[in-house]
Amino acid sequence: MSRRISRTRIAKATWPKPPGEPRYSACHFCDTLHLASPVAEGTAARCARCGALLYQNRQASLARASAFSLAALLLMVVVYLFPFLIMDAASIRRHLTLVNAARAMVAEGEPLLGCAIVLFTMIAPFVLAGGLLYVCGPLLFGRLLPGAVRVAKWMHWSEPWNMVEVFLLGVLVSLLKLSKMAEMQFGTGFWAFSGVMVCLAAAVAAIDRGELWDRMEVAKS
Amino acid sequence: MNEGLSRAVDRGLAACHTCGLVSPVDIGKCPRCRSRLHLRKPDSIQRTVALMVAAAVLYIPSHLLPIMTVVQFGDVSHNTIIIGMKTFWKEGAYPIAIVIFTASILIPFLKIASLIWLCAAAAGRVRPSPSMLGKLYWFTELLGRWSMVDIFVVGIVVSLMQLGNYMTITPGPGALAFAGVVVLTMFAAMSFEPRLLWDRLAERTAAADPTSTQPKP
Repeated sequence: MSRRISRTRIAKATWPKPPGEPRYSACHFCDTLHLASPVAEGTAARCARCGALLYQNRQASLARASAFSLAALLLMVVVYLFPFLIMDAASIRRHLTLVNAARAMVAEGEPLLGCAIVLFTMIAPFVLAGGLLYVCGPLLFGRLLPGAVRVAKWMHWSEPWNMVEVFLLGVLVSLLKLSKMAEMQFGTGFWAFSGVMVCLAAAVAAIDRGELWDRMEVAKS
Repeated sequence: MNEGLSRAVDRGLAACHTCGLVSPVDIGKCPRCRSRLHLRKPDSIQRTVALMVAAAVLYIPSHLLPIMTVVQFGDVSHNTIIIGMKTFWKEGAYPIAIVIFTASILIPFLKIASLIWLCAAAAGRVRPSPSMLGKLYWFTELLGRWSMVDIFVVGIVVSLMQLGNYMTITPGPGALAFAGVVVLTMFAAMSFEPRLLWDRLAERTAAADPTSTQPKP
């Protein structure tokens, strides 16, 4: 019994390392080679030469990444159902949703800009949250779903293109721009999208990239 | 200066761009995630410069052409980014004018300027300290996406302001040019290889003292 407890404690303190020869970690910034020794939970390993972050051991990483990405996905459903802004002008009421904004761009002869809005505010956040859940959720039970490696790669590619917070700033700027000529109201979609922003940021920050790939490798073997 | 620290490249090891696993570069593909392995991002300086030049060229029409066309009671007015910013400033909406100025004018300009400086340093033309440049690069990558705010504002305003004869707003060609600037500068920042900055430093210290940075066996 006591042995089992101590083993789970060790397992909690560092994530399981794939078997094999000693692993190295190269600084992505200055290429200095380090032996990738485990670090305690809540601490990070930094490059000895330039101080850049090498990897970090986050607390309850898998559980947090899964929970926050699930929350982000659920909030995305709310975002698609409710408007961001409700505008009353010239006895016309108009609703702003992500789909409306993209559709208006396409209808007004700028299909590329419509695609950009869909890509940066819908597809990239969805791939990020969905990918994290698809990979981290089963990893909680030491399993990998088919195609997890490919999904994890898509997830990393979509990360820089996720512009949820930028779109929210755009909503605020538009609100101030239009408030002098129309009656403006925040809708549920705005608050839900703010929630998506917070949950996505928390989900991405919850697990280190190196830890995620190490765990995937262990689960695969 | 940093004896005892060797670079991965000196041992023929490459860190995977996707998953970070360090493997011998000779095996070609990362054994863990099947991404192609490179010691350095291929043709980093050429690609970054090419994307920067394209972005700099688009920067001019993005500010000269209207991003929005407003039709109100039959009156047509064309709004560029700068006119929109000036309107906010005149109305006393200073914070929002500053946000637009920063996101649309300052950040793209600083990004183009800093990447040119970084490329010059990576090519060995100028010799500032790599850690200072590292901060500059990190900042450039972090800030670039915020420029997209203007495109989103155009999308939101166009979508809402379809009020028939009262007022209609349509996107202008400047918006597409500006979106091009943002996307191109983001790709340029991604294709830049910060490790080249440290390679130049290693070459200089090796030239100054040939015994100090010999690769360790």
